[in-house]
Amino acid sequence: MDASGLPAFANGEILKTMVGRRVRTVVQVQHNEGGVLVGQSTDGHQLTIRGATDVPVSHFMEVFGTAESDQSICAEVCTDFGNSFGEIWRPISCSCLVLNNRYMIPWTM
Amino acid sequence: MYGGGDGAANANSLFGGGGFVPSQSTAVPESSGGGSGFSKASDDNSNFAINGVEVSTVRLVGRMLGKVERVTDVVFTLDDGTGKIDVNRWQNESSDSKEMADVNDGNYVIVNGGLKGLQGKRHVIAYSVRRVTNFNEITHHFLHCIQVHLDLTRPKPCLPSQINACTPTPGHANQAWPPNNQATTFSASGNTAGNDVSSLVMSVFHDPAIIEREDGITVPYIMDRLKLPEHIIKDVIKKQEDEGNIYNTIDDFHYRSAMNG
Repeated sequence: MDASGLPAFANGEILKTMVGRRVRTVVQVQHNEGGVLVGQSTDGHQLTIRGATDVPVSHFMEVFGTAESDQSICAEVCTDFGNSFGEIWRPISCSCLVLNNRYMIPWTM
Repeated sequence: MYGGGDGAANANSLFGGGGFVPSQSTAVPESSGGGSGFSKASDDNSNFAINGVEVSTVRLVGRMLGKVERVTDVVFTLDDGTGKIDVNRWQNESSDSKEMADVNDGNYVIVNGGLKGLQGKRHVIAYSVRRVTNFNEITHHFLHCIQVHLDLTRPKPCLPSQINACTPTPGHANQAWPPNNQATTFSASGNTAGNDVSSLVMSVFHDPAIIEREDGITVPYIMDRLKLPEHIIKDVIKKQEDEGNIYNTIDDFHYRSAMNG
C-alpha cells in the first residue's frame, strides 16, 4: 500500500488500478448517511466515500483520500464544489485519461 | 488503456512547468509541484526559469493551509495536490487586508504573484489572493497548465517575418518580455505560426491586468499590445470565438476570455 505519495487523478475506472494509493476525484453526491457518502464518478461509476463531510445531494464534491477498493475511497479532505461544476465534468473524465496515461514526466518534489 | 500504474502517480508531474508564450504573458499558470520544469534563471537565485523560459509572475490554484496573519503580512502554504509552496502576501493597504480576510484555511484560492527563491527554496510573493467561487476554475487552471507546458516544451515553430519585426514597448506595465535569444528561434511557417499567433492573442486576454475587466478588450487594444496587423488579430478572434474561448461583452467589438472567473 502506498498511501504516502501525491494523489493521482482518478475516475471510477482508473480507481481500479489505484487501490491502496492516494487519489483525488470528483463525484456527484447521490446520498449521504452517517459519514458514508455514495456518489457518481465522472464516468458513471458508483463510488463510496467513507469519512466524507456533509455535502448536499446533487452537489459535486472533490475528494482527496486513499482508494480502499475499486469502488471506495477513505476520504482525507472533501470540498463542496456546488451544483454547477457538472457543466464541464465530462471533459474531466477524459482529462483523467490524458493525465494518467499519456504524459509521464519524471517528477520530483 | 487504463494501465496507469506508476504513470498515474507521475501524472501529477504533468503540471510540472508551464507558461504562456513568454513574450506577452505576465502570469504563468503553474502547479506547486512543478519541480522538473523549474530551474534558476539567474545567479542571484531570485528568479526561476520554467522549461527554459524565465518566469517572474505565476498563477497558482490550490487550497490554503496554515494561514498566519502577522502585523505586516499574511503567510500560508498553498497545496494544489501536486505539491506545496509557501506564499507571502504583504498587506500595505486596507484592501489587502480585506482581501485576505475573505480567505481561510481549507479554501481553494487563486494566487497571482512573483516566484522567488531563497536558499534553494521556492516561494511566492503574492499580489493577489482570491477565493475560488466557481470551481470550474480549478479544472480550467490545470488544463491551462497542460496546454502551456506542452507549448513550451514542443519544438518551436516559425512565425511570419512581420511578427519578428514586432518589438515590445518597455513602457507597458505588467509586461514580461523574452530575452532576444527567444525571439530569434521563430521563423516563417504555416499552421504552426497560426497557433503561436493565437497563443499571443490569448495571452493578452489572460493578462492579470486584463482578466478582471468586465467589458473585455478590443481588437485595437490587442493590435497596440502585440503590434500585429489587424487582419491577423481578427482572424484569431473569430477562430477563438467560434471555439468558445472568447465571447462578446458589452458590444460586438469587446471580447473577453471564457476562462475568466
